[in-house]
Amino acid sequence: MIRAAKMVFLTVVFGMMAAPLLIVAGVSLNAKKRMFFPPDGISLRWFPEVFTTAKWLEAVTNSVFIAIAAAFIAVSIALPIAYFLWRYRVFYAKALFIAGLVPFALPPVITALGMLVFWSEIGFVGTIWNIMLGHGVFLVTLPLVMISLGLESIDEEILEAGRTMGANSRKLFTSVVFPMVLPYMIAGYAFVLVLSMNEYIIAFFLGQHATLTLPVQILSSLRSGYTPVIAAVAVMFMILAIAIFGLIARFGDLPKLLGAWAPKE
Amino acid sequence: MSDQATGVEDATENTQSSGFFGALKDGLFTPLKQFPAALYPTLMIGVLFMIPFVIMFLISFWNWDQAAAIFTPAFELTHYARFFSPLFTTHLWVSVQFAALASALSLMVAVPFTFFISRFRRKPQVLSLIFILCVLTLSEVIIAYSLSIVMSRSGGLPNVAEWLGLVERARSWYPSYFANLFGLSFFNIPFAVLILYPSSTRLDRELTEAAQTMGATPVRTFFTIVIPLLERTIMAAFILLFVFTMGAFVTPYWLARPEDTMMAQLIADQALSRGNIPFAAALSVFFMAVTLVLSLLTVWLRRSDKLGDA
Repeated sequence: MIRAAKMVFLTVVFGMMAAPLLIVAGVSLNAKKRMFFPPDGISLRWFPEVFTTAKWLEAVTNSVFIAIAAAFIAVSIALPIAYFLWRYRVFYAKALFIAGLVPFALPPVITALGMLVFWSEIGFVGTIWNIMLGHGVFLVTLPLVMISLGLESIDEEILEAGRTMGANSRKLFTSVVFPMVLPYMIAGYAFVLVLSMNEYIIAFFLGQHATLTLPVQILSSLRSGYTPVIAAVAVMFMILAIAIFGLIARFGDLPKLLGAWAPKE
Repeated sequence: MSDQATGVEDATENTQSSGFFGALKDGLFTPLKQFPAALYPTLMIGVLFMIPFVIMFLISFWNWDQAAAIFTPAFELTHYARFFSPLFTTHLWVSVQFAALASALSLMVAVPFTFFISRFRRKPQVLSLIFILCVLTLSEVIIAYSLSIVMSRSGGLPNVAEWLGLVERARSWYPSYFANLFGLSFFNIPFAVLILYPSSTRLDRELTEAAQTMGATPVRTFFTIVIPLLERTIMAAFILLFVFTMGAFVTPYWLARPEDTMMAQLIADQALSRGNIPFAAALSVFFMAVTLVLSLLTVWLRRSDKLGDA
């Protein structure tokens, strides 16, 4: 009885969460230029259109370029902060770490407005660079937390062995610490990559209608009328996210990355 | 160990310096000399994140000329005074309502859901986590769009309701209060799961097993053992979700009625459509202060967490 109730509950929640994914996938297959669900005839013709229509191609290119660069920026900021705190434990390092947590805790609209005001005062706004730097700083929290987790998991004995063998701290970093946190850096990179591609409000504020990312383009196209191309774009996004998280899980320890305790077997 | 030891010695040596410049030296220059690479993140976060907030704070006191739609340096509190106007208070009340309801609703689903997932065997657990992450990172734009399809006249639930004879004629279910609340709650669930997940995995299996061998039903165990143990985490999660929902933009934009406009939309509207940056900045400063207080509360809650890290 209880077991059955639990199964029903889990099925309903999983089903409810999967519903948007399935519906969008269904709509993307419409043969006619309407957004029917279930689809009215099956066709894959909306998928190539993403790459042949100028505005969609531009949005895809912008989003991919921004995401790749922003993820690099975020990891490059996170690594020295995490290492600094782990290695020296000084107040300054702690302050930097907290500063790196703040962007995640604030409503993004505030960050977006702050960055917009900043770039407007400088007189350089509405370009791909603004969004890239914006995302890089805004999304620094996830790689920061993940890399710190990786550093904490390094066994003190390994470091001790390295020092006994005469390694200085630079050598120790390149030969022991860096290879051991690399998986966490890659995971952090992948998280920022996916989040940047899906982020709306900062891209909207900083793009200023001059540089449009995919989510911004999707919402503006939704306003001007439905087309199944929107659904096709969304489906490609989902496939990308599934691939990336699947790879992280395949080559890394996903439960541990998300804060689970090592299972006692 | 030797490097770290000298680091500590350096620090103790320098604590003898006093005064403002002494503090600056100890707090900033010595650590930077120790680890010069810290200069790069300091500059990036400082210039691209901190300075924008300082500028925004300053602009919130500037003068706004509505007729010319320009703002000029000044020091006035007119924008803060508008917090007492109905424009602000109604939208704030709407946002608080939605944020509180959506956070509570999503937690009602997420708490048992996360508890069950954390008891899965490794492989289904990892698959569930991949699934949650995919839903979590899915753009708010896409979620709002697909929910609007479900609730639209041509493609979804209204037609099912008509077919079942629940309503006489199918009508679109959005925009509405319900649609927005549902969208916000839906959007919060994967986020809530990830906040609750670490603590759920930390729950001692033996405690629930002991309760059940002593004759407690699983439901009773859940409410008398699991919920009380997770109490602090659930409260912290509620606050995080509350802040998160207060900042929602795309979901209410797409699913809510005009009278249910939320805070983030108000800020975006003032800043982008009307160009009233000073008022938008004042709203953001207020919003940030509230967020800060609530965040400190979660830090305190986590610190006194019964499950702790010990």
